[in-house]
Amino acid sequence: MKKSSIKQKAGTILLPAVGFVAILVIWWLLVSFTRIGLLLPTPLEVLKRFIYFLGNPIGKAFTLPMHLLISLRRVLTGFCIASVAGIIVGISMGRFKPIEAIVRPIFELVRPIPGVAWIPLAIVWFGIGETAKTFIIFMGGFVNIVVNTYAGARHVDERLMGVAYMLGASKIQAFFRVVLPSCVPYIFAGMQVGLSTCWMAVLAAEMVSSFEGVGWVIIAGQDINDMAQIFVGIIAIAVMGLLLAAFMRFMERILCRWRERGA
Amino acid sequence: MSRKAVIECKHVSKTFYTLSGDHLVVDDLNFTVYENEFVVLFGPGQCGKTTVLNLITGLELPTKGEIIVAGEKVTGPSPKRGMVYQTTNLFMWYNVMKNVEFGPSVRGISKKERRKKAQHYIDLVGLTGFEKHYPVQLSGGMQQRVGIARAYCNEPDIICMDEPFGHLDAQTRYLMEKEVERISSQEKRTVVFVTNNVEEAIYLADRIILLRNLPTSVKKEYTVDLPRPRNYVSPEFLALREEITRDMDPTL
Amino acid sequence: MAEPIVKVRNLTKSFGDLLVLDDVSFDVQKGEFLCIVGPTGCGKTTFLNSLTKLYNIDSGSITINGKDIDLRQNNIAYIFQEYSAMEWLTVEQNIMYGLKIKHVDKDIIRQRVENVMEIVGLTKYRNFYPRQLSASMLQRVVIARAFAVEPELLLMDEPYGQLDLQLKYHLEDELIKLWQKTGTTVIFITHNIEEAVYLSDRILVLTNKPTKIKKSIPNNLPRPRKISDPEFVKLRNEVTDLIKWW
Ligand SMILES: Nc1ncnc2c1ncn2[C@@H]1O[C@H](COP(=O)(O)OP(=O)(O)OP(=O)(O)O)[C@@H](O)[C@H]1O
Ligand SMILES: Nc1ncnc2c1ncn2[C@@H]1O[C@H](COP(=O)(O)OP(=O)(O)OP(=O)(O)O)[C@@H](O)[C@H]1O
Ligand SMILES: [Mg+2]
Ligand SMILES: [Mg+2]
Repeated sequence: MKKSSIKQKAGTILLPAVGFVAILVIWWLLVSFTRIGLLLPTPLEVLKRFIYFLGNPIGKAFTLPMHLLISLRRVLTGFCIASVAGIIVGISMGRFKPIEAIVRPIFELVRPIPGVAWIPLAIVWFGIGETAKTFIIFMGGFVNIVVNTYAGARHVDERLMGVAYMLGASKIQAFFRVVLPSCVPYIFAGMQVGLSTCWMAVLAAEMVSSFEGVGWVIIAGQDINDMAQIFVGIIAIAVMGLLLAAFMRFMERILCRWRERGA
Repeated sequence: MSRKAVIECKHVSKTFYTLSGDHLVVDDLNFTVYENEFVVLFGPGQCGKTTVLNLITGLELPTKGEIIVAGEKVTGPSPKRGMVYQTTNLFMWYNVMKNVEFGPSVRGISKKERRKKAQHYIDLVGLTGFEKHYPVQLSGGMQQRVGIARAYCNEPDIICMDEPFGHLDAQTRYLMEKEVERISSQEKRTVVFVTNNVEEAIYLADRIILLRNLPTSVKKEYTVDLPRPRNYVSPEFLALREEITRDMDPTL
Repeated sequence: MAEPIVKVRNLTKSFGDLLVLDDVSFDVQKGEFLCIVGPTGCGKTTFLNSLTKLYNIDSGSITINGKDIDLRQNNIAYIFQEYSAMEWLTVEQNIMYGLKIKHVDKDIIRQRVENVMEIVGLTKYRNFYPRQLSASMLQRVVIARAFAVEPELLLMDEPYGQLDLQLKYHLEDELIKLWQKTGTTVIFITHNIEEAVYLSDRILVLTNKPTKIKKSIPNNLPRPRKISDPEFVKLRNEVTDLIKWW
């Protein structure tokens, strides 16, 4: 094995593991030997509960994996719509001057509003059903995706567009072969941020109005004063978020292979 | 002469309007390039050679005057006029093969046929074995050769080459010069070639157009009718080299 | 000349299956002007990138002054083969950049920047942005930026490829002047053999991939050199013969 790659492995696996273990130990020490024990369960208790919930329902009907899947489905629905819409709006804003002139001011106005601010409005507009949640999640992701895609579309190298035309490409071909690929890294940056904001939005939405999903698990834990359940919810969120982020990075590596210089 | 004119530059001027003021780069430029002719544009650094090529290919439009190519006024890029760039302008998201076959592919030529053609040009520029590499994985000289292959593979009637061999080593450069000469004499194409190397200019050109320093226009023209392939150290060659070097404006 | 400034030992580097540098070892003495010539794609840029830690190497070692290279501590300037001017800065700001991040005194910055802008002939274009420059001007911006920091080690990857002859001669002489004045060590990559013979103390000739050192040729011609000098022509032909690969 090459020396440098062993060193790299140590960096990516060993060091984060050290951090986690340290946190667990500190947590355990605090709970066992200080009065924080009144407020926090031990790591072991949380783990036990976590495993228990894998097979047994939380609340009436659903087990933890089911709650997770429900939240995940909501996120993915909202996120996919946000991505498609965001990419279309971002690129049209970046490539067509009139659209930019019309849409951009509106967008600049909407942009600073945090995703959760839409919750009351969404409930008034769409009731407390799935539509409202999808809307809130959509708003959470949409803005980031538009901002980044727009930046990418504006940075398309005009000389490369010239090259494409010179080689005989039509406007549409130039779009799919030059504009879109050169936006991909930007779009991905937007989608990565977008996915985490969507994930935050779903929790907020579920905490406000829902009978299932991880957000509800946490709120329900609060209602019955069950610390361990709250922690199970939080950890489930964290793990899921981590997996989603990893998945996005994986996709990026595949789609943006051409950017890897290889060191 | 009864030769057919393919590129006519008529009183062309180009000004770049920048925040730090107007920048007149081309001032009343006039020249004609005839069919199947190999013309070299030669001039001191930064005199506007790239700008002239951009005007011919339609990437930039003249501020004044007009450029007529094959009877039509240039209003934008067209596949009839190909360009090899000074700085590499590759599609970074396509591998070597896809870059080279870009032209035939957007024109709907069948995969088998365009692969064959692209492979021919890839072999020609000595990149066999690197078809699947992305541009970031190539050395500077290799990237430049991909650009050459891409332009040739599109088979334009007119090909503009902007210092295409700047990043090549002496041998590869020599081979590419021979290759350009062979292709342009065999396949009969009109070539407008920019270089800052006098020897390369005389080796390749039917005619050399010497440009003035900024703002540029034609200073002098030389018809080179030495027999091909030319000998770098023949007395006529050296005499012409001497003459052109003497006539050229200083860069700074 | 006692301790070499750069020591390369058994350097091996490959990209996937492609073996590029194959067990290469050499030294560069302090204050030496080393030219490296070799066929296109043989790994010259790869070597400089490994030296500056942009690439990881497979095995072997590269040290500077006996230590691992530290880009912040060692005063190194690297002129990349591709254009590396910063698009959002003007010509003048680009040239100043290197000095600013090194916290050089303001007056010295002013003076040096004016000086190098004059040398590369860009004083008139100080407020232009990179996009508004021709290829040779861009190249000169990067050269000026490197000259301005008066580095201890100057790495140049085909810096003069796009320049016309006059400018090239001019900047070659300026480089020699700077080198003699500051005693910097220069590693200069070029395809132009005449240039290599004109500039160098020693020429390293590389082979085709997988790359090894074909020969290290000392160049003791007296300076200033003349390209028509028979000794010069002889050396030039010697190098040319070495890198013929057909
Ligand atoms: N987009 C632009 N905006 C402003 N000025 C420009 C622009 N493009 C080119 N110029 C100016 O036009 C002049 C000529 O540039 P050009 O690239 O045509 O030179 P060149 O002859 O190709 O030089 P080189 O040999 O360095 O490639 C330069 O002074 C440059 O600053
Ligand atoms: N990031 C990379 N990933 C994969 N292969 C690479 C990478 N960089 C360089 N190579 C390969 O390594 C070889 C050497 O490249 P390098 O850029 O060092 O050549 P060079 O000697 O500088 O050539 P040139 O004179 O053309 O600039 C080439 O075959 C190239 O394809
Ligand atoms: Mg140019
Ligand atoms: Mg290189």
